Amino acid sequence: MIRTLDEMVDVVLSFRKKHRLAVAWAHDNNTIEAVGNAVINGLAEAVLIGHKKEIIRTCEAESIDYSIFTITESKNEITASQEAVSMVKTGEADIVMKGLVSTDKFLKAVMDKENGIMKPGAVLSYVCAVQIPSYHKLLFITDPAVIPFPDLDQKIAMAEYAIEMANTFGIEKPRVALIGASEKISRHSENSIHYAVMCKMAERGQIKNCIMDGPLDIFLACDRKSQELKQVDTPICGDADILLFPSLESCNPFYKGLMLFAGGELAGLIRGTSKPVVLMSRSEKKKSKYYCIALACLLAERNI
Amino acid sequence: MLKKLDEIRTIIANEPVKKLVLAAANDHDSLSAVLRAAKDGIVIPILVGDKEAIQNIASSYGYDISDLRIVHEPDTEKAVEIAVKMASSKQAEILMKGKVGTSTLLKSVLNREWGLRTGKLLSHFALFEVETYHKLIAVTDVAMNIAPNLQEKIAIINNSIDCLHKLGIALPKVAVLGAVEMVNENMSATLDAALLSKMNQRDQIKGCIIDGPLAFDNAVSVESARHKGIKSEVAGDTDLLLMPDIEVGNVLYKSLVFFAKAKVASVILGAAVPIVLTSRSDSEQAKYDSIMLATAVSRKQQ
Repeated sequence: MIRTLDEMVDVVLSFRKKHRLAVAWAHDNNTIEAVGNAVINGLAEAVLIGHKKEIIRTCEAESIDYSIFTITESKNEITASQEAVSMVKTGEADIVMKGLVSTDKFLKAVMDKENGIMKPGAVLSYVCAVQIPSYHKLLFITDPAVIPFPDLDQKIAMAEYAIEMANTFGIEKPRVALIGASEKISRHSENSIHYAVMCKMAERGQIKNCIMDGPLDIFLACDRKSQELKQVDTPICGDADILLFPSLESCNPFYKGLMLFAGGELAGLIRGTSKPVVLMSRSEKKKSKYYCIALACLLAERNI
Repeated sequence: MLKKLDEIRTIIANEPVKKLVLAAANDHDSLSAVLRAAKDGIVIPILVGDKEAIQNIASSYGYDISDLRIVHEPDTEKAVEIAVKMASSKQAEILMKGKVGTSTLLKSVLNREWGLRTGKLLSHFALFEVETYHKLIAVTDVAMNIAPNLQEKIAIINNSIDCLHKLGIALPKVAVLGAVEMVNENMSATLDAALLSKMNQRDQIKGCIIDGPLAFDNAVSVESARHKGIKSEVAGDTDLLLMPDIEVGNVLYKSLVFFAKAKVASVILGAAVPIVLTSRSDSEQAKYDSIMLATAVSRKQQ
C-alpha cells in the first residue's frame, strides 16, 4: 500500500518504463520548471509542444538544459493542445499536461468528440490525493476543480473515480465520507438527499468497493473523538479515506486551506479520460507539481 | 411475535375494557361484529343511531341489548357528530363507522372544533394473518393516502410504528417497497426508500429498523434476499410493508385476501382515538378482528 506521496514517487521510480508527458504550449517558466524537475529526477520523459525558440529561451532563463526534452513546433496554444492530445491517442506519449494555455481551451481539446480522449459517456471530474501532517493517512478529495454543482450522477462518478484512485494506492475498500454541514437528512438539502441515495446504492452494490456514509461533517469523517462525542452511528469511524464535497466551492477552499495553513502537499488529476491528464494551478507548491506528474505516471502504468 | 390475529386477545386480556362508539349503528355488519365483541368482553359499545332500527337488527342476530347505552338519533350526520364528540370528549376510546359513508365520517373526524385532529396525518394500517408467512405482517397505506410524499411517508411510518409497539413488537422491521431492490433514479419510490433508510440510521425516524427499496419477494423471503445477495436486517423478516402508493397497496391488500385467503384487521391511525373504518366488503370476522386491533391500539403507550 502507498501511504505517502513520497512512497508514490518511489513506486513510480521503480517502473521499468518511463512514461512520456506531452505538454501543451510549454511556454512559461512555471511549467518548464515542473516538467524539468520530473525529467531530471527520472520520473518521466517529456515532449514540449509550442514555439521552439520561446521554449528554449524559457529553459535557458530557468537554467534548465533543454536537450533533456523533445521539443515539437506548434502554431498556437489551440493546435498545441490538440497535438498533445493526439500524441497520447496514438501512443507517442502517455500523459497530457497543460502548459500556458487557458483551462477551457485545453479541456476543449481533451473533450473533443472525435479527437479527444474522454471515455465514452464519462463525467469529467478531478480527484486529489492530499497529504497533511495532522491526518494519519492520505486523504482523497473530490472535486476541487471541475464540476461546480454536481448532480446525483456526477456525484456517483466522482465517488467512483476517487474509489478507483484509492484502489490504485492499495486501499481495497476505502471509506468514503460524503461531506455536508450536518449528518442529518433534510428535504431542504438536495445534497443530503443525494447522499442518502448514494449510501443505499453502495449498500446494494451499485457503487462498488467502498464503505460509504453521509452526510457527515468533516469532524465525523476524520475525527474519531467527534464520533464518540456525537454518538452518530457511522461505519466511517473518523477514518475517512475519501471526502466527497457537495460543490467545487466547498472543496476548492478546503484543499487550498490545507496547502496554505496545514503544511499540505497534493497530487491531483483530471478523471474521466482514457489517459491521464495533468492540470494544475500555477500557485501549487513545487513539490505538489512533482507529485501530480508522479500520480499521472502511476495511473498511466496501471492504465486507468 | 404474533402469528395469529386472535393472539391480540391476550394483549388486551388484562386491560380495562374499552368503550367503543358506533356511529350510525343501524347497520347489520358492523353492529353484529360490535355485539359479538361486546359479548366476548372486548369492548363496551355505545350505539348512536336510529334506536328502533338498532334494536331490530340486534334481535335479528339474537342479541339482547337492553343493558347497552343507545343514543337515539335517526339523522345520520347528526349521529356521526354525536359519536365523534363522544370520542373527543373521552367518553369513548374507539370510534367505529356504521351505516354512513366514509367521507361523511372523516369530515366529522377532521372537524376543527370538535373533531379528533391531533396534528398527525391520518393513515390506514392493515394487519394480515397469512398462512405462508411466519408472523403477522402489517401493510400501510392501502386506503387513505393516495400518493404520499416523503414527509407523509415518514408520518405513515411513525403512526404504524406506534401501533406495532403497542402490539408488543419492540423494534419493528420496516420494508419500504419498490419494484426492485436497487436504487433507480427513474423510480421515485426507490429514492424515497433510500432516504427513509438513512433517516432511520440517523435516528430521524426512531423505534424501528427501516430498509428499502426492497422488492416484495425479498421483503418477505429470506431465501429470495439471499439469492439476490441483499444484506439486510429487514429482508425476509418484515413486520411492516410501506407501500409506495395506494394503487399498489390496495391491490396487495385485496390479493392477500382473495388469493392468499389472508385474515385482516385494520384501523385508521393518527386521530385522537383509533377508528374502525372497515368497508362493506370486509367480512364480519375482519370487522371483529379490527375492533380487537383498535382496542389494543387504544391502550396508553407502555
